[in-house]
Amino acid sequence: MVRLTDYEKKMLNGEMGEFKQTALKNIVKYAEALGAEELCEVSKATLYFGAHPYLDVVDSDDYNDIFSKMYLCSDKTVNIDEFSNTCYCQTCVAPCDQYVYEPLNLTKEFFNKNNKFLEITKEAGVSITGSCTPYLIGWLPLRGEHFVTTESSNVIFCNSVLGACGNSDGIEAAAWSAICGRTPKWGNHIMENRKGTHVFEIECPSKTAIDWDVIGYTVGRLLPPHAVPIIDGNFNRPNLIKLKQCFASLATTSGAEMCHIIGITPESITLDMATGGDEPVGVIKITDEEYNKSFDMLCDKGCEDVQFVTLGCPHYTLEEIRDAALYIKGKKVKKDVLFMIWTDYATKEMASVNGYTKIVEEAGGHILTSGCPLVIGHKCHEGVKGMAMDGAKQAHYIRSETDATVYYGNMYKCIDAAITGKWEA
Amino acid sequence: MEKITIKARGAIKGIAEGEALVCPESIQGWAGVDDHTGNIIEKGHSQEGKCINDKILILPCSKGSNGWSCHFHSAQVKGKMPAGWVFTKMDSRAGVAAVVIDVPMVADFEDVDPCEVIETGDWVKVNGNTGEVEITKKNS
Repeated sequence: MVRLTDYEKKMLNGEMGEFKQTALKNIVKYAEALGAEELCEVSKATLYFGAHPYLDVVDSDDYNDIFSKMYLCSDKTVNIDEFSNTCYCQTCVAPCDQYVYEPLNLTKEFFNKNNKFLEITKEAGVSITGSCTPYLIGWLPLRGEHFVTTESSNVIFCNSVLGACGNSDGIEAAAWSAICGRTPKWGNHIMENRKGTHVFEIECPSKTAIDWDVIGYTVGRLLPPHAVPIIDGNFNRPNLIKLKQCFASLATTSGAEMCHIIGITPESITLDMATGGDEPVGVIKITDEEYNKSFDMLCDKGCEDVQFVTLGCPHYTLEEIRDAALYIKGKKVKKDVLFMIWTDYATKEMASVNGYTKIVEEAGGHILTSGCPLVIGHKCHEGVKGMAMDGAKQAHYIRSETDATVYYGNMYKCIDAAITGKWEA
Repeated sequence: MEKITIKARGAIKGIAEGEALVCPESIQGWAGVDDHTGNIIEKGHSQEGKCINDKILILPCSKGSNGWSCHFHSAQVKGKMPAGWVFTKMDSRAGVAAVVIDVPMVADFEDVDPCEVIETGDWVKVNGNTGEVEITKKNS
C-alpha cells in the first residue's frame, strides 16, 4: 500500500475537488502498479496538450469529454479545473504551428481547434510554449528537483545533465502529476536507482551533431532492457546541441531515462562515480561498423528526388538556425519542395530579430514552431515520394507513417537537397 | 497438455487469459501500435502487422517515446486492447499503461524471463491477484 500524507488523503477524499481527486486516484494506482511506497512533490511539468491526432478516437468535440477520457481515464466527464499551484506547467509540442497552417496542408478549422484546446488548458494553468526542448527556453528543473515531462529526450537531459529527477511515465501520468502535484517516488526519483550499469566505449566518429545522433541511436539499439548506459572511451567532448541529438535518438531505440557521459554529466565525473563503485554489468564497443549499421538503418540508399525537407528534431537552437540561415543565404529552395526548420516560437522570435527568418523565407523556406512533422502526422506529408531530415528520431519513426524514401544526413546535405530537389549520396 | 507456472508480482489485479504475443524487443511507444486498429506498425518488428487485441502481451520492458501508454489507450477506445500483459520487469511507461488500460498485469520476475519461457501462440492465464502466470504450450 502507498503511504499518503494528510494533505494527499484530503485530496483523495475529494476535499480539493473532483479534478484533483481523479488525478490523484490515478497516481495512487500508478504507484501501486510500480510497487512504490510513497509519492513525491513535482514542481515542473511539460504536457502534451492540444488537438493531437491520437485524440480523434474520442467521438466528441467537447474538450472536457476528450480530456476526461484520454487524460483522466474517466468514462464520466470531469470538467477541467485548476492544475497544481505548486507545479509550473507548460505545453510540449503541438500538432500545428503556433501561427500558420497553410504550408502544412492543415485546415483553418483544425488550427482553430488546436488553439481552442490550448486556450482551455492555459486558463487552467498550463502556459503555451510548444517545445520539445524546454531546457532551451527556461524550463530547467535543478538537481534533486522532481519533474514530469512528455518528451522522452527531455527526461534523459534533465536526469543526466541537470541532475533533476524524473521518469518517462507517459502522456496521461504527466497530466495527473501536473494536476495533483505528485508522482510515485520510484525509479529515477530515488538516487540509488540512477547508477550506470553498461559501459559503451566510443570508437566511432564523435565530432559532429550527426555523429552524436547516431551514437545515441546505436547505444539505444545495443542497450539491454532496463540498463542505464555510461558513455566512455575516446570521444570528442560533446556540447548541448550534440547531447540534444544523442538523447533524442537514445530514447527512440531504447527505454533509457538516464545516460552517464564520463567527464560531462555531473553524476559521472569518473567511471567509478557513474557505477556507484560497482563493476559494470557489461561493456559494449560502439565501433565504426555499428555506427555505419545505424546510419544505413536511418538513410535509404540511392539519390532520388525529394519534396519534403525538415530540420530540427529535436527543435533547433538559435545557433543551429543561424548556421542554416547563413548557409542558405542567397540560394533558392527548388519549386515544389517544402523546406522547414522547426523550433519553438520564442527561439523563432530571436531568429527574426537577427534576420535569420527573413533569410530562410527569402530562400523559399519556412521557420515553423511548436510542433514537427511527426507530431502533426501524415497529413503534412501526404503524396510525398522523397524526404530528407537531420534528426535520427524523426528518420526512424516517420517510416511507420509514410511509404516515401527517407534520407538522413547533416543540416548542409539536407539544405543542398532542398535547393536541388535531389538527395546526393 | 504441458503446463508451466511462473510467478512474480501482480501489478494490476484480475484474471485474464488468451493467446500469447511475445515481443522480445518490446514495442516502440511512438509509431508502435496503430491508434485505430491496434496493429503493430513498428517497421521491422518481429510481430509487425499483428493485432494486440485479446492477446496476452509478453514484453521485457517498454521503449521509445513517453507516448507509450497513449497509443495503447487510443486503440482501447477503438475496441482493440490486450486481455492482459506480462512484463519481465516493470518500468515507468509500463506502469502508466497498466493503469490506463486496466487489464491484469504481472511483472518483476526474478529467476525466470517470461520472454524466454513463453512463445507466441501459447495459451497464457495471467493472475494479477496472485502474480501467477500459467502457460499452456501450443506444441504440447
